[in-house]
Amino acid sequence: MLEAITKLLRRDKRGVSNVIVVMLSLILIVIIVANVVLLSYQMNQFDWERAQEKIEIVDVQTGNFTFSNEGPSTVHIVSLWIVNSTYHKHYDADLFVNSGENSTYVRTDVALPAQDFLLKVVTEKGNLAVYMKRWG
Amino acid sequence: MVRQMTKLRKLRLNRRAITPVLSNLLLTVVAVAAMALATSATYLITTNLGETMSERIVVEDLWFDSSTGYIGVYLRNVGKVAVHVSSVYVNRSSQIFTKPFDLEKGQHRWLNISESWIPNGLYHVDIVTTRGTHVGGYYKAPST
Repeated sequence: MLEAITKLLRRDKRGVSNVIVVMLSLILIVIIVANVVLLSYQMNQFDWERAQEKIEIVDVQTGNFTFSNEGPSTVHIVSLWIVNSTYHKHYDADLFVNSGENSTYVRTDVALPAQDFLLKVVTEKGNLAVYMKRWG
Repeated sequence: MVRQMTKLRKLRLNRRAITPVLSNLLLTVVAVAAMALATSATYLITTNLGETMSERIVVEDLWFDSSTGYIGVYLRNVGKVAVHVSSVYVNRSSQIFTKPFDLEKGQHRWLNISESWIPNGLYHVDIVTTRGTHVGGYYKAPST
């Protein structure tokens, strides 16, 4: 009896195409969902790391800039700005500040204005730190 | 020899079972085409979604330039894909800017907006990319 049913089921090819279509569709859906989840995770990680960054400008002297990294990860400073009422000057920078460390960046090419000015630094992840320098 | 020739002639004249073969072939072609379409659509959807999700730009500086009377915005692409700025709005109205404005991954430069400003004025600057990312905010013009 059981053997006869098994033989019948083996010979019965109805519904096979439906199963194949459903399986292929499932594979495609799984690929889409997996990609979206992976990308979302990667970008969430990036945003989280960016939110954790905490860079501060400790001191500004002619040719010397001291930064403090209060965050849990290393910060890469990529941009330096000298801003005052008459101009906004951009300088490319390349400085890594380890977590919990103070680091002095020597840039003799950066000319500081004689009047009060604003120093801005930008990190690779897009965070900014601002320091108002008042002479005297 | 004669028998073989007769067999061959019979086979040539025999048209039975051609329809099932043709239908199977056509079905296979249709199924392959449908799967190719579905796979391409999947690839396109995931690529577009990924690019949209990976876009990140920051405004490093905004300068109300008194020498030119224009507004300069220094943008940096900190995301994982290249961006193309499609529109710039100042106080909700579309503005003329330096076109085309593309930023590769990690690239940075000035975007000049041809909008005259008045001292102490408050401006809402909104920069929009082709994928729909917005960046900007409220900025106050200097007194002089």
